[in-house]
Amino acid sequence: MPKLSKSPTYKAIAEALWQSNPISKQILGICSALAVTVQLKTALVMGLALTFVVAFSNLVISLLRRQIPRNIRIIVEVAVIATLVILADEFLKAFMYDVSKQLSVFVGLIITNCIVMGRAETFAMGNPPWRSFVDGLANGIGYASILVGVAFFRELLGSGKLFGFQIVPESFYAAGYHDMGLMLLAPGAFIMIGLFVWLEHTLLKDK
Amino acid sequence: MGDQMPNAIKSLLFATILCVVCSVLLTAASTGLQSFQQKNAEVDRQKNILLAFGIISEGESVNADRIQEMYRNYVKSLVVDDSGRILPEENRGPNDLQLYAYMKNDELQAYVVPIDSKGLWGKIHGYLAIENDGATIRGFTVYKHQETPGLGGEIESRWFRKNFEGKKIVNQNGEFVSIKIAKGSAEDQIAPEKRINYVDGISGATMTGKFLTEGMKEILKEYEPVAVQFRQKNKRYLRTD
Repeated sequence: MPKLSKSPTYKAIAEALWQSNPISKQILGICSALAVTVQLKTALVMGLALTFVVAFSNLVISLLRRQIPRNIRIIVEVAVIATLVILADEFLKAFMYDVSKQLSVFVGLIITNCIVMGRAETFAMGNPPWRSFVDGLANGIGYASILVGVAFFRELLGSGKLFGFQIVPESFYAAGYHDMGLMLLAPGAFIMIGLFVWLEHTLLKDK
Repeated sequence: MGDQMPNAIKSLLFATILCVVCSVLLTAASTGLQSFQQKNAEVDRQKNILLAFGIISEGESVNADRIQEMYRNYVKSLVVDDSGRILPEENRGPNDLQLYAYMKNDELQAYVVPIDSKGLWGKIHGYLAIENDGATIRGFTVYKHQETPGLGGEIESRWFRKNFEGKKIVNQNGEFVSIKIAKGSAEDQIAPEKRINYVDGISGATMTGKFLTEGMKEILKEYEPVAVQFRQKNKRYLRTD
């Protein structure tokens, strides 16, 4: 379908998920990507929370884009984002208390995540609401996909588990296998993210 | 100059409306979800008491109803005055102390002292469970703190808390010394005969350790009249009805 792949919405999605993935291509949002990827569960919830925030901040800002006075637009963007982040945080505290305790400050720090501000300023200010919303969703999913990928390897190699369930059998440990402690620490996350960046760049170049 | 005024007013107006809308949204969410959040916090508090006693084990997933049921079955809230006398709950005065007892077969197995200590950035809230000998630490949990994640925040990590198990709040002569957090590994820093009163510190979080050590000492000193009763094997304490 040549028409579909030319539509601006499709382009926005492809860009966000692949050609300019926020983490592996633009190297944005690394701080939280390091902090919450020790376990798959926290990585997934963080990814969903960020997706929710980017999608709706893009939508709201795009709806208001003709009304927002130019001189205070950054403040307006931050106010909208902050409101959405606090909403997400309150919901997590009410319905996913354990996860919200583990994520601690990092949900709050979504406010300062460059991906959210970046999409609001560069995309939502100049595009119609629906396309902005989809762009936000795609960027959130692009971010979440790398987070989940990194967390998958960190949890599997670092603690032998996935989603908290033991994957590496006891017999391995009995035979002398050790979990890779490095994966639980920040350097492990740097190495994993580096490998993902390398993978993406190599695959893109081959095209 | 003339056409800048309306612009400024427009900005102000827009900002005002935005602020009002955001505030209303946040207030609504906060009040609407408050009852859920409070229930979660209460269950979490009970879970931490059970965890300090070792009634539930680390990493075990127990649902909220089960936690509340176990709490009702095993945990008894006690109030004592500053000389260690057990008071009826309703006579509680401002200087009286709160304890939680782990009752099994009508006998007190261990008790929990609530720890509300100063931290580097804010208060550290946790529970310290002590065996019914009034000297040996059974478990330690932290349920709320504002320390830096990854540094002082490690106080809530399993390895740090596990450190406390089996340590004593009294020295070899049975005198009260509290429990202290070493700078780094207790094995490297502390003389062998004193190690029983020290736990390993967290690297990069010396100040958090210092505040928690001070806080615990202050609190445990306050509870010392209670601990003494246990050390003297006071029957009234071991069999509270």
